[in-house]
Amino acid sequence: MSPAPLLALRQVVKNYGGVRALRGVNFDLQAGEVHALLGENGAGKSTLIKVITGAHQPNGGTLTLAGQRVANLTPSSARALGIACIYQQPALFPDLTVTENLALRLEATSASSRIDWPARRARAEQLLARLGAEISPDAEVRSLSMPEQQLVEIACALGAGARIVIMDEPTASLTQKEQHLLFAVVRDLRKNGVGVIYISHRLEEIFALADRVTVLRDGQSVGTHAVGDIDEAGLIRLMVGREVAQIYPAAESAPGHAVTLSLRAVGCRASGVHNVSFEVRSGEIFGLGGLVGAGRTELARILFGLTPADSGEITLHGQRLTLRSPQAAVAHGIAYVPEDRRRHGVVLELPIAHNLTMAIHRRFFPTTWLRFGAERALALDFIRDLAVKCAGPDAPGGSLSGGNQQKVSLARWLATEPKLLILDEPTQGVDVGAKSEIHKIIRRLAKEGLAVILISSDLPEVIGMSDRIGVMGGGTLRAILPGGSAPHDVMAAALGTTERGAA
Amino acid sequence: MSVSPGNKNPRDWKAILTRHEMLLLYVLIAEWLFFYFAGTTINRRGAVVGFGTLDRQFDILRHSCEIGLLALALTPVIITAGIDLSIGSLLGLCAILFGKLWHDGGLPISVAAGLTLVLGALAGGLNATLITALRLPPLIVTLGTYSLFRGLAEAITHGAITYTDFPASFLFVGQERWLGLPTQAWIFFGVALGVGLLVHRTTFGRAFRTIGLAPEGARYAGLPVGRRLALVYVLAGLIAAIAAIIYTARLGQAKADAGTGYELFAITAVVLGGTSIFGGTGTVHGTLLGVAAIAVLKNGLACLPVVMRMNAAEEMSGLLTGALLLVALTASVLPKILSRFRARHHAPAP
Repeated sequence: MSPAPLLALRQVVKNYGGVRALRGVNFDLQAGEVHALLGENGAGKSTLIKVITGAHQPNGGTLTLAGQRVANLTPSSARALGIACIYQQPALFPDLTVTENLALRLEATSASSRIDWPARRARAEQLLARLGAEISPDAEVRSLSMPEQQLVEIACALGAGARIVIMDEPTASLTQKEQHLLFAVVRDLRKNGVGVIYISHRLEEIFALADRVTVLRDGQSVGTHAVGDIDEAGLIRLMVGREVAQIYPAAESAPGHAVTLSLRAVGCRASGVHNVSFEVRSGEIFGLGGLVGAGRTELARILFGLTPADSGEITLHGQRLTLRSPQAAVAHGIAYVPEDRRRHGVVLELPIAHNLTMAIHRRFFPTTWLRFGAERALALDFIRDLAVKCAGPDAPGGSLSGGNQQKVSLARWLATEPKLLILDEPTQGVDVGAKSEIHKIIRRLAKEGLAVILISSDLPEVIGMSDRIGVMGGGTLRAILPGGSAPHDVMAAALGTTERGAA
Repeated sequence: MSVSPGNKNPRDWKAILTRHEMLLLYVLIAEWLFFYFAGTTINRRGAVVGFGTLDRQFDILRHSCEIGLLALALTPVIITAGIDLSIGSLLGLCAILFGKLWHDGGLPISVAAGLTLVLGALAGGLNATLITALRLPPLIVTLGTYSLFRGLAEAITHGAITYTDFPASFLFVGQERWLGLPTQAWIFFGVALGVGLLVHRTTFGRAFRTIGLAPEGARYAGLPVGRRLALVYVLAGLIAAIAAIIYTARLGQAKADAGTGYELFAITAVVLGGTSIFGGTGTVHGTLLGVAAIAVLKNGLACLPVVMRMNAAEEMSGLLTGALLLVALTASVLPKILSRFRARHHAPAP
């Protein structure tokens, strides 16, 4: 083993126009190490990854690979040097098989060569076997689950002989069980001498998996520690530069008695939801926990009229509703802040102000004539009220960080003055600071009497924020637990009997 | 951080002066001046002829109205990331229906015109229904109705009948002047104002843009996506019917091949005017400039002595319109490509 680190960055600087995205980052990665990279959104993690993968050229500093200084790294030369990056959303061709996807990545293109299908398939089989993945090489990627697709990505990296593997929030959409599988793969990579740069917002993962952790703040590396030498509070302190006293704000008021929403045996065959019954009171935060694929988003889509229910009864303030379209849901005072904010929550190309009034066209512009001044004023109010960090109401949604996009998405629905607010993964991919701000906003809304349904895969969040927790699994409600229940109980309810039955 | 143009500080003059519409305006002015000096001649009797005469300018305006109307009809459609290839054929069908209602149906001109507008909107409604209710791609749907409408027009006339002998009071719309301008120009400007207000000043236009940028996002925001999409296609049908009546009034005859190929000129004008074929961005004033740039080019070329000698005005104008479109498209993406190129080849500081 060479004493020189696999990868060393010294005082790396990167400017975008006048914005200093990186202002002196030091980072190194040893062979056979899992090195976590941590920081709020906008701290410079993505920029750093782009520098390491050659997508962007740094404006200063040095990049050393296995003792050799590298200048003018390009994406293709980075790949040739053994750097691979696995993104949150796997970038595979959905209509091709696993074998074909691997071949596309790994084989040099040449017009004349004959395709050796058996060799291709054998290689795919061998790479997947190395990962312990039970995926057929002949499966179309479309038919694979998200974690299986990630495994295929990792197989690509292995096949390319990657020595450095970057993983950008790989567990964001994985279930607990899938996470454990992924962790096993990462540990295996480490054993084989691969250096892994692991990016995640989930601190418990970092403690479970990483050897060292480097914290970025405002484009600078503010510290590298062995995970044994630092605790969660210490990491959060490094990330935000201040002490975060309490992770979840305490409830300031008890939920009211008036029932806002009531579901009786609601189901929808098309989305696999069946027999869901519960009530949400005004001022109550009703958490929906469960594993990915448990039917929580599907239930939200029923309540928002995107996939109408075909059985059961939905009543809001005692009035029975038939929700056949989002417009109907909005008209009845139901608001849905969707999970995929970049596709459904915020139109990235449009200014913040336009995004904010999108759901209140009819009420805010009753004559259909746009009122630009009033719209700007409204936007400024929300920007101030929710502390959205932006250049102004005219800044496009895409210029904001994830957390601030989420606030705009939330503000759009608050502007409708809803009776029921459904939040689907409101803090996914959001940095710690914005996360706690969003939590405070949710609490405040509940205090003001809004009924809130909070869908979250972040177990501590569901437990810490909810007054009651509905646990879903297999398309139905498995249990309703009180807020503050033990994580173990929630997990047990979520796994329920199906898990045993399937085994 | 990358910020899309047009969303920056609205008082940024440099940004305003280098906007696509402004660039197009410079091109239009340059084009016009060139033809004014190169295409105006004095004939043997000492009279000024060619491009520089007022009559010729009015002629350009008169000839731009129908394609201009179709371009106006297409602007909202393309902003929603859709397309309507059928409007040229619909112009022909509406012209025939109008002629038949008046000539064979014995209806007064005004009633026939009113009914034609309704039928045009209904034909647009057919496109709308196929696109929104059956969720078929607009390109395929309107490719189908492109043939269907033209075929109907030809079936009605057996490919032979041409309706003529319209009363002078009707031909006034297409051949005379009113308040100093060709009569149809007033209708054209009226429609332009209406579409401009719709696209830029109402929640409808806001919805068109949102649908063009993010159809799923629009649905999740509770916007009535289907109804708004239906509106743009119905509106396109209605405007095509207006264009059909003006066409008939200008030529004094209604025939089945009216407006053949107009849809392509109209699409060219819209895209030249800065409307993205991918949806979401575009302006009505840009479309007007695009229409003007093409019309001036086409008519100006016909006035150039060298082109007249070669008798190649049609070929030259087709060629140059195509070139103009490609240059404009290249110019609009060039800054992005250049900055990417610069970023790639920017050596790190020592």
